[in-house]
Amino acid sequence: MKKIEAIIKPFKLDDVKEALNAIGIKGMTVLEVKGYGRQKGHKEIYRGAEYIVDFIPKTKLEIIVEASLVDEIVETIRNAANTGKIGDGKIFVLPVEEVVRVRTGEKGKEAI
Amino acid sequence: MVQTAIEPQDFTGLRARRQALDAYWKQSVSGYALVRKHSAFIDHHLADSFEKSVPPGDGFALVALGGYGRQELYPFSDIDLMLLYDPAQKDELSPLVDAILYPLWDAGLEVGHGVRTLEECMVDASEDFFFRVAMLDARLIAGSSALFSRLTEMYKTAYIEGKRQEFLDDMLEQRAKRETQYSRHTYLLEPHIKESCGGFRDIQSMVWTAQVVFGLKDLNSLHEAGLLSQEELKKFEEAQDYLVRIRNRLHYLSGRKNDQLFFEHQEEMAKAFGFKNENNMLAVERFMREVYGHMQTVSVTTGLFFEHVLEVSGSEESSKAGKVLEPGIEIRHGRIHLSGSESIRSQSKLFMRLFYQAAKTGCPLHFRTRKTITANLDLVDDKLRNSRRTAKLFQAILVSAEPFRVLEEMLDTGFLPSYIPEFSRVASLAQHDVYHVFTVDRHLLQTIAELQKLREEESTIFAVVDMVHILFLAGLLHDVGKGFGHGHADRGADLARQIGERIGLETDELDTLDFLVRNHLFLSDTALRRDLEDEEFILRCAGLVNTTEKLATLYLLTIADARATGPTVWNEWKGALLLELYLKLALLLDRNDLSGHEQARGAELGAQWIREKVFELLPDAKEKDFDLFSDDYLLSFPPEVIVQHIAHAKKLEKQDVLFSHEQSQDSWSILVMTKDRPGLLAGIFGILALHNLKVLAAKIFTWADGTAVDTIEVSSAISETYDGQDWETMENELNLVIKQRFGLQHRLSQKLAPVRSKPQGVQQRLAAKVTIDNQASELYSVIEVFSKDRIGILYDITKTLSDFGISVYRARIGSKADQVVDVFYVLDYDGKKIESPAFKNELQQGLLYAVTNE
Repeated sequence: MKKIEAIIKPFKLDDVKEALNAIGIKGMTVLEVKGYGRQKGHKEIYRGAEYIVDFIPKTKLEIIVEASLVDEIVETIRNAANTGKIGDGKIFVLPVEEVVRVRTGEKGKEAI
Repeated sequence: MVQTAIEPQDFTGLRARRQALDAYWKQSVSGYALVRKHSAFIDHHLADSFEKSVPPGDGFALVALGGYGRQELYPFSDIDLMLLYDPAQKDELSPLVDAILYPLWDAGLEVGHGVRTLEECMVDASEDFFFRVAMLDARLIAGSSALFSRLTEMYKTAYIEGKRQEFLDDMLEQRAKRETQYSRHTYLLEPHIKESCGGFRDIQSMVWTAQVVFGLKDLNSLHEAGLLSQEELKKFEEAQDYLVRIRNRLHYLSGRKNDQLFFEHQEEMAKAFGFKNENNMLAVERFMREVYGHMQTVSVTTGLFFEHVLEVSGSEESSKAGKVLEPGIEIRHGRIHLSGSESIRSQSKLFMRLFYQAAKTGCPLHFRTRKTITANLDLVDDKLRNSRRTAKLFQAILVSAEPFRVLEEMLDTGFLPSYIPEFSRVASLAQHDVYHVFTVDRHLLQTIAELQKLREEESTIFAVVDMVHILFLAGLLHDVGKGFGHGHADRGADLARQIGERIGLETDELDTLDFLVRNHLFLSDTALRRDLEDEEFILRCAGLVNTTEKLATLYLLTIADARATGPTVWNEWKGALLLELYLKLALLLDRNDLSGHEQARGAELGAQWIREKVFELLPDAKEKDFDLFSDDYLLSFPPEVIVQHIAHAKKLEKQDVLFSHEQSQDSWSILVMTKDRPGLLAGIFGILALHNLKVLAAKIFTWADGTAVDTIEVSSAISETYDGQDWETMENELNLVIKQRFGLQHRLSQKLAPVRSKPQGVQQRLAAKVTIDNQASELYSVIEVFSKDRIGILYDITKTLSDFGISVYRARIGSKADQVVDVFYVLDYDGKKIESPAFKNELQQGLLYAVTNE
């Protein structure tokens, strides 16, 4: 099992969600996050007041899937989230040791 | 329908008890009747057990306390019992307690029980506020009435006579505590029927206080004593009965003692109360609207009651004369009063004048004045609603220091919905989701409160707003179109315009109001759902908003609206997105160069055209190859030249540098193609200077694959017609420079020594100027260098940039007479704009040195 974490631009969330739905991925966790990578923050001065945007708002998706699905999902997210500009985001794939469904106690594949 | 006869003992079985209640429910037995009936059954049962087991004598009394004492027993309420005993008969106590309590426990009832002597009662009462209050409702179920009346006498002497002020203070303290605890958003969405504002605790504390302070037993006696008008009493009793019915059903549905109206219960309750989905409103929303409406009645009525009690018990003399603020209105003890309650009937303008004075002085209206307003709302007619004078006062209230407080009084008294009838549609209107914490009317008031706060917090942006009164009016009306399904913003804008016309707004004010209400979701929708780097889209947004003033107004309204909706709607994350959009639009509108961006749009189309042309000329090119070229590059050359560049690029596989020159009238056009590297541009300019070539213009491009394509227009510095140019040596030297085997610096300094030895005036230093602009371009810092022209100057500038690790992405070299204006689009060593003030300054100084020192 793998955990896919994707950091994307917030306005791309609907596109990514739709694209994932289309390939049968229905479950995910969505978080509002802030951070910066190469698209660093910036300072704006407007009418004498300084507005510092040091961390840029991003949306983070977390999806746990069977390892065999990872490539397709990563590709799907990449396609849907791509604008070709800096700050489009990143996708991480991590190993997952165990999944347990709280209600039933099911484990592994069944619990995803 | 045949009514089943239910014997008391049936109620010892939990299931039977619930069935029986359900049967009553179906028979539409009203709220109070049902809880009384339940209480009576339990009484009956308890009296029975008591009589069977009580030992002879006068030593025992079975007493009901709290809710049970009031004969209000909900399906799963605790049964609060106290067995009062004479210490002389202590030995006989145990079998009696067993006989009473065991059957209750066996039946699964929640029993709160205490076994006390008279003395113990008094000790407990002194220690425990809740027991002290529960004693107020003590009621004898069975046993010695003599013992029970001794208890009530002792209690009265100890805790009521002469203790009225302490009691009142306790009550007010508890009320304030409840207010803070239960006004949190979860309780707003899912009201607690018992503890929330306008719940049972409010009702009880009023009744208790009336009992202790005035000796009034029930609501009717409150009315008889003139504390409640007939109208108020009727409304209050209705509300109370409704809440009783809800609590009854809620216990029944939850299957336990639950007094909070959770989401999952709301829909079921709505159904049980016979609500249906109608007119674009969910049954559950119609139901919750009633609930909120009744709780509002309880909250307002009890609030007025406590103000009255405070005044009566207060040490201040109420007879002290007040200060007259204007005819008919005076101020006493920090409260605005109507001088004579009759005057408002002849002068309806006093309504708004009262609120205006409240806004002006910062003092609340006296409760009696508020009651008078509510009682005379029938006087608010079309004449008053269309009155210009009243409208002016209303607008003055909106821009006063604390409009929220005054508008809340206007809403609570019912004046606001009477004055603005459109507002009554959203009164107590609930929205069944987790986002909208407040009912629509409260949300609108909350928006005003947030705007009030933003006035301080965002004072810079607030200063841009030109129509503050329209901003606040929009805050108050932005959701007035709710309750009729989709499109509330458009509907609201039409209603707002109608209201605005009625209160006599000017055309531009009406337009702004309409714009704000119609678009109040625009910024938040856009910030979350659109690509803020899409220049064309931002441009269209700017076109819609049109002016900086409107943008600032809409931005503040958007923030206030979001904050007033609930904690899930507003957070720092969304705030950051919204701010980004705001700044993008504000800068665009401020620069006022919308037309320049229209050109950019044209340029984009142009680039597309060229792309197609080149595609035609290169039959074997793949669409993908064109990703190499920026629009900017494509627009800078005719398609044929681009095709040439592509052909040249193939040769770069075999050689490091491609160099060609072409004569055109009085100048040469030089093309240099090679792999981009730091210092390349300085190298090229250095070689040109070394060969007496003056740069007229330069186009610097780098394809996405790192191929530098630099086209430079040059002319001879020697003479316009000089034709002895040694191109071959130049190409060789350029190759050496690129391989870093050529001492450009010393060669140039040797060559230029004679030229530079000429004395220079001070003037030249003053003429030189370097600016670094981060706003002109989205992606690059733009450096502009103004200086006097001289040979080798471009080498000096680009060498300096290269020394600072700065990459030049584009350059425009302009020479006018003897002055140069060179523009460079650059990024620093890390591929970022030049932001740090220290670095900026250093770079400026470095460049100034480069162009002025020779």
